[in-house]
Amino acid sequence: MTARPIALACAAAGLVLAFAQLLLPGSPVYHGWQYALALAVTIVSGVAYVARGARGRDGARGRRLALAVAVAGAVLAELGALASGLLGPDTSEVVGTPGTVVPIPALGAAAFFARATPRTIAGADGAVTLRRRGAPDVGVASGGRAALGDSVLFLAPRPAAYVEAFDERGAHLTVTQPAAASFLSPVLLFPQRQRIGAVDVPLDTFAAPALHLTVHALYFTPADLATFGHAGLAASSPALVLSAADDRGRPVGLAMAPSGRTVALAGLRVRVTIGSYPALAVAAAPPPALLYGGLLLFALGLGWAALGGGGVPGTVAEQSRTPTTPEATTGGAASVPTT
Amino acid sequence: MRRLLVVLGLLVLTGCYNTSEAAGAAGGGPSGLAGAPAQSFDLRRTDGRTDSLARHRGKVVLLNLWATWCAECKSEMPALERFSREYAGRVDVLGVDEGESAGAAAEFARAHGVTYPILVDETQQYGGTYVALGLPTTVIVSRDGRVVKGIDGALTLEQMRAAVAPALR
Repeated sequence: MTARPIALACAAAGLVLAFAQLLLPGSPVYHGWQYALALAVTIVSGVAYVARGARGRDGARGRRLALAVAVAGAVLAELGALASGLLGPDTSEVVGTPGTVVPIPALGAAAFFARATPRTIAGADGAVTLRRRGAPDVGVASGGRAALGDSVLFLAPRPAAYVEAFDERGAHLTVTQPAAASFLSPVLLFPQRQRIGAVDVPLDTFAAPALHLTVHALYFTPADLATFGHAGLAASSPALVLSAADDRGRPVGLAMAPSGRTVALAGLRVRVTIGSYPALAVAAAPPPALLYGGLLLFALGLGWAALGGGGVPGTVAEQSRTPTTPEATTGGAASVPTT
Repeated sequence: MRRLLVVLGLLVLTGCYNTSEAAGAAGGGPSGLAGAPAQSFDLRRTDGRTDSLARHRGKVVLLNLWATWCAECKSEMPALERFSREYAGRVDVLGVDEGESAGAAAEFARAHGVTYPILVDETQQYGGTYVALGLPTTVIVSRDGRVVKGIDGALTLEQMRAAVAPALR
């Protein structure tokens, strides 16, 4: 391998690494030393190649310039990615209760978390809209991404359950969450975890104040359920274990609640719809101008080189010097003048 | 020497790495919504009609979220009833029962002499949007449909008068 193929391969690899931050956002890998090292290698390789080209060591001036433009474009994008990885904020998750607004000062925006119904929870259909003064709304849907400044936003699904409570006559009862950000939300988001045997399960709490009951809800995935081998539950869907306590904290009932089925619990009838509701993940990303500008330069440079580098021959001094350079004679020097 | 510098440069660059750490944020509640458009949901009232905040656009609205099991709500109701009579025509008072059936809300309102309209919010849509700390919660909405003020906890008649004053100017 000679300098030119190595430089171009490094440039292409660097671009892939840089664009990964946009296409697969939020990975802790981007803030790790291995990622920084890989980008640094591609940057050093690119800078070395451009410097080498400036000294007239890689063929005719036109092609040299074209390839230098290509490699410099890649270096720009790589620098953006490196800065984003090293200096950008860690990936954070903004957790919002359905129907509420959460300010995000770092983005100068407010996140509107869509209202949830049993159907949206079951279908994992949550969405978040970012609103900024004097700018159009930015919507982020499940599975989608949105770039906002030097950040990329995407939805991270979290376990959730929509709770409906009734008394024994079937009258609707208020569900409250005294410890949550939104007291009257019927949607459990399981911010805590509890260890049970070998499994670590999400935990949340709600209350039915009309019956003076507090209910702890443990979220079991199908895999967790399979380890318990509960006969009454299909291990293909998640379920909640509900544990009720009275005003004095005394346990008064326990029930296993599969999604969509009404279960009896200490005078309370509870129907839970289990699924997910998203948090808004905010990850650092390279400035789009650097990324796309760099990619454009890379493509233009390669295109120009493929078309013959503009047909500008090197100077007489360069031409007389070029063949004496050992690398130039082996480095794909198809355009090196022979006269 | 140049290679040494390159290696040193790489080490400096890669030494700056940091690690990922999840961070949470939470918010919401009535006090933080001042100035924002007031969200509205169509609900059935205890008298069978359909009502919502949006249907009162052009008038100042005092939205009071409550439930029958809430002792503070019960103690606030006489003052709210008096306020609704005193400000009739200037401020529309809407009570919103949170999470309970229409029968329970209607029976409770009748027993406590409430004459202002009660909306029945079985799925806690208003509550999930406006309530942060508990019940009762009061939200003042301006004529143009924006939240003027959100207040957690029971209010006295004087506090209700003071709360709507800015919206009536």
